[in-house]
Amino acid sequence: MLLLKIKIKELFVKYLLFLVLSLNLFAVDATVKIEKDVENRARIALVDASTITNNTFFKILQDDLKISGHFIADKTHHKGDISSNYLLPVLKSKEYVLKYALTQESGTKLLVRLLKASDSTEVFKKSYAIPSKNKIPFLAHKAVSDINRVLKYPDISWMNRYVIYARYTTPGKSEIVLADYTFNYKKTIIKGGLNLFPKWADKNQKSFYYSSYNALRPILYKMNIYTGKKEKMAISEGMLVCSDVRKDGAKLLLTMAPNGQSDIYELDVASKAKKRVTKFNGIDVNAKYLDDEGSITFVSDRLGYANIFKKGLNASSVSQVVYHGRNNNAVDAYGSKIVYASRESQKSFGANTFNIYLTSSKSTSTRPLTTTGTNQFPKFSVDGNVILYIKHRGNGSSVGYINLESQQSLLFPISGRKIQSIDW
Amino acid sequence: MIKKSIIIILTLSSMLLTGCSQKAPDLDIEDGKNNISDSTEISGDTVAIDENRYGNENTSGENGSQYNSSSDGFQSIYFGFGDYGISSSMENHITTNTNVINSTTSTIKVEGNCDEFGTDEYNYALGLKRAKAVKDSIVAQGVPESKMVLISYGESNPTCSSPTDSCYEKNRRVDLRLVK
Repeated sequence: MLLLKIKIKELFVKYLLFLVLSLNLFAVDATVKIEKDVENRARIALVDASTITNNTFFKILQDDLKISGHFIADKTHHKGDISSNYLLPVLKSKEYVLKYALTQESGTKLLVRLLKASDSTEVFKKSYAIPSKNKIPFLAHKAVSDINRVLKYPDISWMNRYVIYARYTTPGKSEIVLADYTFNYKKTIIKGGLNLFPKWADKNQKSFYYSSYNALRPILYKMNIYTGKKEKMAISEGMLVCSDVRKDGAKLLLTMAPNGQSDIYELDVASKAKKRVTKFNGIDVNAKYLDDEGSITFVSDRLGYANIFKKGLNASSVSQVVYHGRNNNAVDAYGSKIVYASRESQKSFGANTFNIYLTSSKSTSTRPLTTTGTNQFPKFSVDGNVILYIKHRGNGSSVGYINLESQQSLLFPISGRKIQSIDW
Repeated sequence: MIKKSIIIILTLSSMLLTGCSQKAPDLDIEDGKNNISDSTEISGDTVAIDENRYGNENTSGENGSQYNSSSDGFQSIYFGFGDYGISSSMENHITTNTNVINSTTSTIKVEGNCDEFGTDEYNYALGLKRAKAVKDSIVAQGVPESKMVLISYGESNPTCSSPTDSCYEKNRRVDLRLVK
């Protein structure tokens, strides 16, 4: 009997030891799971404590939270007091509550407080102030990207950046416009003349390159958006476009046609020396730095139709990247990721279906990111996680964003004439 | 012995379980005592440039194309969808244009244009191919290459804007004019 009791106790100890060790392993696995699993988006409610309700601002906050891929925002426009920690019982089911107050006296101010819904602990509090009301959308973007940072989610500071685009106004004339990513903020920075293909010159968005078609020969300029100072970078008969800027800003990829033949060139910004990269009798355009920036991807009609190719900057051989579609006439790249627009219908006239596809320089597999409408101008965000594109449908256009990790997507309507080119 | 083992195990487990129930990640709690974000973080004022000295409809020649079709006696050359070859029906236009060039000492601007379909950068290149095809045809008739300057306006300079086949055809063209 005594022996039996000892045996049972030994088994109990072994079982307890086993249980404890298992819990430890589970704890390690659970921690790893929380850090990596972005599918468990945080549920968040917004409480508006502004004295004057601004539904547009509320919508911008909601959209920011959604496209971040890290939050599920409650659709209800709750109202409340900014200072109090009291939360309505209905908000207790959320993880976080974002209280905010937007005021527009003597400039524009935004105060935000992020509370844990479970116990009203204040996690984050900050005030923002800007001189005018025009940039109100940027207040929302800054607040959401700060909250995202405080909660240690992957960076979404791309939403604080300007989008720059050109659009035609009347035949032979265009304007270049700055916008926030939702297009709620817009400011024309160059109007009149024919100025096209704007391209950010630096990651801080202080300057941009653009093509001026106001003289006999197109000229590439670099302009500072705060001082208006312009620098002539290149001139070429025929056409001249800056299609990409190397990450360090020291070199540019240009489409030039000094002999009436469009080819890819690389320009050294400091010396203005140009090196021809492609030599083909047809059309080579829209080059983008690829992989470690020692090679490029570009659009060419060397197979008789517009398609996507790649080549080393110092190599002569060219290889095909995309093996489907009969008209793939726009491309962008981030590292080894490649996104392109492909025509899916065969109409000679009238609207065709264009869809955006994602592929890689390391693989031939490709997947569609859009399925309907005319989708063009695919562009990677500065961190490569979000794709911007323009969708035309019927008589309207929208700017769209696709978060590649969370699969979240948003569309914002654009008014006015058709966009000619865009960068962000 | 067994009692000691149980005590050790219970002590170990209490340490581990305390680790499991550790509080949420240490957040960068920013004490918001009027933590004002510098307004320059949301960027200062940007410029607004007006280049309306260009694009005056009465201005001729060098400062961009202000015309929607050829001028100075030249005839526009038209192209099929996506094409940049000169069709046989356009050959008499080439001949007419060659004669006009031979009658002047001015430089000729050869402007390529496209319809609105496709991406603009590709369209600018396509417009340029059309302009070059016209230039090469004229050079083949004995005109010096140096008399002509090429430029492509892509889809920026339509002669019409209605969504019809005939309008799209009118926009797929090369215009010629004297540089004044």
